[in-house]
Amino acid sequence: MHPQLELLLEMQDLRSQKQALKEQADEREVESDVFEVEIEEALEELDRKLEELEDRLDPSVQSTYRRVSRSMDRAVVPVLNGVCYGCFIAVPRSWASEAAENEEVRTCENCGRFLYYVD
Amino acid sequence: MQLRDFFSQDCIKLDLEAEDKDEALKELVSLLDLDEKSEGILFKMLKRRENLGSTGIGRGIAIPHCRSLVVNRLRVAFGRKDGGIEFKAIDEQPVENLFLIVAPPLEVSNQYLPVLGKIAQFSKEPDVPERLAELEEPSEFMDLLEEKGV
Ligand SMILES: [Zn+2]
Repeated sequence: MHPQLELLLEMQDLRSQKQALKEQADEREVESDVFEVEIEEALEELDRKLEELEDRLDPSVQSTYRRVSRSMDRAVVPVLNGVCYGCFIAVPRSWASEAAENEEVRTCENCGRFLYYVD
Repeated sequence: MQLRDFFSQDCIKLDLEAEDKDEALKELVSLLDLDEKSEGILFKMLKRRENLGSTGIGRGIAIPHCRSLVVNRLRVAFGRKDGGIEFKAIDEQPVENLFLIVAPPLEVSNQYLPVLGKIAQFSKEPDVPERLAELEEPSEFMDLLEEKGV
């Protein structure tokens, strides 16, 4: 896996966590009631971590990431059965084999999100 | 939805080798049989979740959990460490029983929270820590879930 893609995956996982705590009342409730998480503090911590990881992106990846994450909720999406799970448009077939091991950082030609190939 | 439908015997380990929290998280992740990179990403994410607050809910039970792109469906695992490990649990007691839950960010079937809730509910039953300590075979873990109706 490309190290920059690995970083992007970590960032997207943190973004999912942040989004769930922010926007999903039931998940927030479980985290705060069962696990005694301080939600506001947790959100700040996730933001700090995200900034730290963003600084580690290569300049070109970083500018794409910033552009995509400004306009869309998810910056990195899985490709399942040849389809981008951000916009649900098929990605070029020829990519699938080359990118099978996620050795390159690719973005969807249609929606611009970073792609992560899942088996 | 039944909790026992999500567990398989190869994701149950009654003799964890881990001596600390990090090792325990790694060992649980390894039960899911992912590739090495995915395991690494998942471990980091679980650690980051622990940094927001320990998932040790008391009475020797922890439920490490997170959402991650590296899994394509909900995955669970169970591990037991006799004698327990330091986990910064809510009651500051060592943790012996660990339930791991990982779900993809986009989970259409929406099982993540119900599964988390069921494990938390199961963990609260008065005799559960003692019953978990008595298990000798992974199959007995499945039997216990069945007996408790979860
Ligand atoms: Zn797309």
